[in-house]
Amino acid sequence: MQIVIVGVGGQGILFSSKVLGEIALRRGEKVIGSEVHGMSQRGGSVISHFKSGDHFGPLVQSGDADVLLAFDTDEAIGNVSFLRSGGTLIVNCDDPARFETGTMGEYLRDKDIKVLSVDGYGILREKMGGRFLFLNVMILGALVASDSSGISMEDMASAVMDLSPERFRDDNIKALKLGFKR
Amino acid sequence: MSERRILLGNEAIARGVVESGCAVATAYPGTPSSEILPAIAAYSDEMGTNTQVEWGANEKVALEMAIGACYAGKRSCAVMKQVGLNVAADPFMSVAHQKLDGGLLVVVSDDPGCHASQDDQDSRSYASAAKIPCFDPSDAREAKAMVADAFDLADRYGIMAMLRPTVRVDHCRQDVEIIENVVSQRDAVFDRKPAGKRIVMPAVIHGFLDDHSARFEAIRGEFGAMDRYNFEVPSEEPANLGVIACGISYSVVRDILNRLGRKDVSILKIGTPVPLPVNLVEDFVDRHDRVLVLEETQPVVEGQIPNRTAVMGRWNGWVPKTGELVPEVVESVLLRALGVKEDLSDREVFNKIEEELSPERRRPRLCPGCSHRPAYFSIRKVFPDAVVASDIGCYGLAIAQNAVDTNICMGGSVTAASGIYLAFKADGKGTDRPIFATLGDSTFFHSGMTGLATAVYNRHAFVLVILDNRITAMTGGQDHPGTGDKMRSGEEGVSVSIEEAVKGCGVKWLSVLDPYDIEKNKKTIEKAWEHASSNGEPAVIVFRHPCITMLKVKPEYRPVKVDPSVCIGCGICIRDFNCPGLVWDQATGKAMVDDRYCVNCGVCVAVCPKGAIVPEGGDR
Repeated sequence: MQIVIVGVGGQGILFSSKVLGEIALRRGEKVIGSEVHGMSQRGGSVISHFKSGDHFGPLVQSGDADVLLAFDTDEAIGNVSFLRSGGTLIVNCDDPARFETGTMGEYLRDKDIKVLSVDGYGILREKMGGRFLFLNVMILGALVASDSSGISMEDMASAVMDLSPERFRDDNIKALKLGFKR
Repeated sequence: MSERRILLGNEAIARGVVESGCAVATAYPGTPSSEILPAIAAYSDEMGTNTQVEWGANEKVALEMAIGACYAGKRSCAVMKQVGLNVAADPFMSVAHQKLDGGLLVVVSDDPGCHASQDDQDSRSYASAAKIPCFDPSDAREAKAMVADAFDLADRYGIMAMLRPTVRVDHCRQDVEIIENVVSQRDAVFDRKPAGKRIVMPAVIHGFLDDHSARFEAIRGEFGAMDRYNFEVPSEEPANLGVIACGISYSVVRDILNRLGRKDVSILKIGTPVPLPVNLVEDFVDRHDRVLVLEETQPVVEGQIPNRTAVMGRWNGWVPKTGELVPEVVESVLLRALGVKEDLSDREVFNKIEEELSPERRRPRLCPGCSHRPAYFSIRKVFPDAVVASDIGCYGLAIAQNAVDTNICMGGSVTAASGIYLAFKADGKGTDRPIFATLGDSTFFHSGMTGLATAVYNRHAFVLVILDNRITAMTGGQDHPGTGDKMRSGEEGVSVSIEEAVKGCGVKWLSVLDPYDIEKNKKTIEKAWEHASSNGEPAVIVFRHPCITMLKVKPEYRPVKVDPSVCIGCGICIRDFNCPGLVWDQATGKAMVDDRYCVNCGVCVAVCPKGAIVPEGGDR
């Protein structure tokens, strides 16, 4: 399994890759990945690579990712080249048409890439009082719903619980379920 | 007993340091190395080793502390990034030749591709210049194993050893085996005999040089036998190409060969590039018609290969001479070496997608609510034409609000301001143009103080602005002499006063301000330059406000909105204030608040010349 997670600084990307790592470790799989620190955390683009199974290097190569988790629409557009044919794009987006029309739509259909669009900010505004902090776990809920990772809701919820600071636990589980249902 | 945990490369290195019985570990934070020292503290607590962990005010200080501990017979370790090694280069080169009692390890994290650095120098070149052994890990697991071997080697030969992870090793996350067993620490002993052993004087050093060279050659032999780090992965089919791969490039090229399904390429992995086990390499080169060398960043291994007639690498331009060897680059070079044409058809599609959807490219900029933003905004407001020298730290990102003119290295803003003043002075226009130097609290202690003392001594007229956000923010929030807090809970430090240090350097005009109070601060900025220019000496402003990302108490809640009937769409708030919480509304041609990023600090109310940004009221 190879997953690329993209977004901008402050969206909780590193926490998401930690959760994925924990789940793989519990399954007894080998894990390697890479994250970006420093400058890029200050509001710039952030990217995290995650690989489980038999791999040597930490970076996912263009055209190899099974899943692209995009916390931000623009970052999804800029990084769609990571996906392999038949892969899955899960994107926080309030305008799904951007991935359905034009060259982008054509490319995704040609490559048989499944697109799952979540209006993360809209849902969080409505259901969680605009606390956008929980976007990352919501996207993980969508990942479970997409069936592209082989991760069950049970395994996901238990890893999120164990890695969350106590004060965020209940809200994280709530966000996870919101992402699963959308 | 052992256990498997997912660790960051830096955590794996830290674990290795504690398991190896290191008694004293020091560092100055710098991406990509910053997480190592705090992790050493955490593992030491977990395993009860009482390892002493200290931040030095800079890398030279950190290394010299580790050297002192080593003189007292302890295993010790200093951690820094590649640029920091330049700061520590003085003790680094001096101690290299000495015969040490304890094992001394220097961990230097390199940053090929300059993800968070001003250069991508190759620290293996420093190891080579100092003639000390260098380990070049290819993943987190190997990095941890190498720490143990580096300490062992350093101990046995009485030499300093280097571990040189690169950014992809530091920041990879991998499942790593950890053990509970620890190499037991020796008691601290300072053996005064033979006299002069640790004294760096020509007469003494002459006796060291030959011995040092002999040790270096002996280690070359040991490296030749270290088949866990230097080994061949033979091709399954007759080899059409040999690849010599170092560090992370080894991991990358193995994945690519699997991906391409090529079985006709053999690999020689080199994990100990300095001193290079030349015999191994020569034998590999002899057995292949063509050999491709993959290493970051400089051709350090390639340059040590005696016969390079069949070798392709960075010297002869087969591999790009600069930049990171990411998988896409390695695959392209590898295919070219194998005579295969690359398929570039998708690239055109991606270009077209970019053209149609033009995604926003987000460069790093100051966080919403960051106190540096109003500080720079105020300076520029008062003196739009001022020369503003900046420094290494978050505040350099104020370049996005057009507030920063220069940036050299840690502490370089103070001295650059001195130089700019002298340049104007040489033309007889010393104080015609306002000059500001800006640097952070941690940077001030790192190497700003020496520049300030020099400026006072020589009577240089400029305003030094210390942006004190009570933390080393850029690298993730490490403490420093100014915060006084230490890494371990229960360990108490002392906060060194910036004001007292400034006064101690002889500065006569000093003011401490809250950068959030833009209106009030403008007058003081004016006065500061007035003092500096009329008295021919530096004036100092300390802007003090805690880093927004590391607040210990909740800030005041001051939400704002843009009143569209007042906003004239001048764009000053977007351009000059440049907060991610304020965005341009294409539809109306006016500014608006983006609630996804706004942190409700309310500072931007003072920014709009028309008063269109207004408090919204309400409670959280």
